[in-house]
Amino acid sequence: MVPHIEFDNVTVKYGSHVALDQISLTVPPKSIIGIIGPANSGKTTFLKCINRTIDFIDTAKVEGNVRVSGDDVRSLRNVYELRRRIGMVFPLPVGLPLSVYENVAYAPRRSGMHNRHDLDQLVEKCLQQAMLWDEVKDRLHTLGTKLSGGQQQRLTLARALSHRPEILCLDEFSIAIDPVTTMKIEDVLLELKNEMTIVLVTNLVQQAHRLADQTAFFNQSKLVEIGDTEKIFTEPENKLTYEYVTGGFG
Amino acid sequence: MADANRSQAGCYVVHSAEKGTAGPNFQRFPTMEEAVSAVAGQGSFNGHQQPSNLTKSNNSLVIAHLSNEQSDASQCRPRHRFYVDTHLLGSGGDGTERDPWPDVPTAAKHILSMAGDGKLNLRPNEQIVIESRKMFTATRLEKKKMRSQRIAKGVFFCMTLSLVIPVFAILGYLFVQAWPALSWDFVTLNPKRMGTEGGIWAPLVGTFFLVLMSLLMAAPVGVMAGVYLNEYAKDNWFNRIINLAVVNLAGVPSIVHALFGLGAFVLAAGMGKSLLAASLTLSVMTLPVIITSTREALAAVPKSFREACWNMGATKWQTIRTIVLPNSISGILTGVILQVARAAGETAPIIFTGAAIFLPVEDNGVGYWLPYTLKSEVMALSMHLYTLREQINNAPLAMQYGTAVVLIGLVLSVNSVSIALRVYLRSRKKW
Repeated sequence: MVPHIEFDNVTVKYGSHVALDQISLTVPPKSIIGIIGPANSGKTTFLKCINRTIDFIDTAKVEGNVRVSGDDVRSLRNVYELRRRIGMVFPLPVGLPLSVYENVAYAPRRSGMHNRHDLDQLVEKCLQQAMLWDEVKDRLHTLGTKLSGGQQQRLTLARALSHRPEILCLDEFSIAIDPVTTMKIEDVLLELKNEMTIVLVTNLVQQAHRLADQTAFFNQSKLVEIGDTEKIFTEPENKLTYEYVTGGFG
Repeated sequence: MADANRSQAGCYVVHSAEKGTAGPNFQRFPTMEEAVSAVAGQGSFNGHQQPSNLTKSNNSLVIAHLSNEQSDASQCRPRHRFYVDTHLLGSGGDGTERDPWPDVPTAAKHILSMAGDGKLNLRPNEQIVIESRKMFTATRLEKKKMRSQRIAKGVFFCMTLSLVIPVFAILGYLFVQAWPALSWDFVTLNPKRMGTEGGIWAPLVGTFFLVLMSLLMAAPVGVMAGVYLNEYAKDNWFNRIINLAVVNLAGVPSIVHALFGLGAFVLAAGMGKSLLAASLTLSVMTLPVIITSTREALAAVPKSFREACWNMGATKWQTIRTIVLPNSISGILTGVILQVARAAGETAPIIFTGAAIFLPVEDNGVGYWLPYTLKSEVMALSMHLYTLREQINNAPLAMQYGTAVVLIGLVLSVNSVSIALRVYLRSRKKW
């Protein structure tokens, strides 16, 4: 089986600062990989390599190969199609200066979906998956930027789902969301696993434990250890990993 | 020797300056130590008020060094000033206003130990003042801060005022001088006899077409170049050179633009002195500023909006069209319109390139509203004003000022359109 995401000896430098150091890992389709690690360990850079938004950082240099479904992302001519196939949620919620409805309908419209009925259905489905529908269904036409921080974060999640991605990258998606809603979204993610691969970057070690099939521990730009989540959390090979998952790190 | 003189010069007096009582409330002590002990409430003190209590009405204690005959410490110079704040919970600081002691006995203890270290040497006619620091009152430092704040505000306000006064003075003076000439006919009639009679219709319509033409050429080019430079251009040497060129072009004097226009458009391109050459020159002059203001308006749109769109697979152009431009259009239009106002007022760039000294248009019909072709010379308000003032001997003063009033009115009304547009578009801003 071709791995859905494959990092082959990838190194990323911002100028002289090494952000990712010789990372190699594979993610099989329809699985959840949890990425854990302290701040500044390269987790977000890892995500940016997958959908090539690393291109927008002028100083960044990427070496090695990143393959999605077997294709090297740097040889792709249609990078927009790559990004459409990858949903991305970053920790700082960004509501686009459009209505809630148009926020979610943005990506489908850009890729040519104009039928009002289809759009209505898609918007409702995405907002429900992001656990936001009940709160905004009566004000779909207010500005997305006027929602609260936690609501905007769920709006970002709904937007990431709106272009029906095959890979969903979540970078600290739950930092502004209350625990009850977070648990509900986690249930949705487990359902979504049936149709997409999920890369879950999280500071909540237990969130990775609950959701991930395999877990990777990053530290100081290096991949310290990757393995089945149960193994990482019960008998990791590396001492640093053990300290991090048991809370004795540092 | 000096020390001996000092100690012999008199006695130490404790004053408890209680308001509302008749006469000072004081007692003499032979040494400063005894005086301070009395302040601490340890020695004897025959006043009406126990000196260790500082109250609202009794908010300072004085230990003065006086001669035997004197009993009034009001002439004494305060040599040391200490502060007590009875609201303090801790053990207090160093007795300064910023960091006061919590009560008078503590103050006395510290003063005694300072005296023991020889840090307090009161000369005759000097005194130590212990003041009550009231809660939420300004300290000296804070008062100083507030004073300099008021001064700064005042200076800036005066500068603003000195800017506003000339504006109103100029406008008022122009209006008064122009009043005899101002009428509807003045605006709508052709100039006659080299502009000494009739109105200013020809230069007005000329200015209108010059500005319109230069706007039609400069605005699309400038805005698109601004979009390219801000949204697409990477930070490399080529684009840095372009940026440098734009910035420098904005600083070129208008008379130099005029010469460039003469050389490039009138002579080299063979346009002759014409509306086309003049408006091309004006657009070259306004381009760099339009580019710069466009870039500033675009840069005000948060980068996170763009990144969110790119992450969803939107192309740069889709992002610009749907998110960036709708949220920066107010700034872009403001920049463009301000350049229109500038172009309307400029004389130098059109003198060599297309402005006629005297060229009336037809008095009615199509030729009245659309008098010019691209090849014809035109009259312009700024040029007309210059002609009336400098080239013609007997032009009535009121007509000169009238021309100025119409020109300035044109510029101001364009500016107010820009302000109104900005206010309107801002009210629709979405973040």
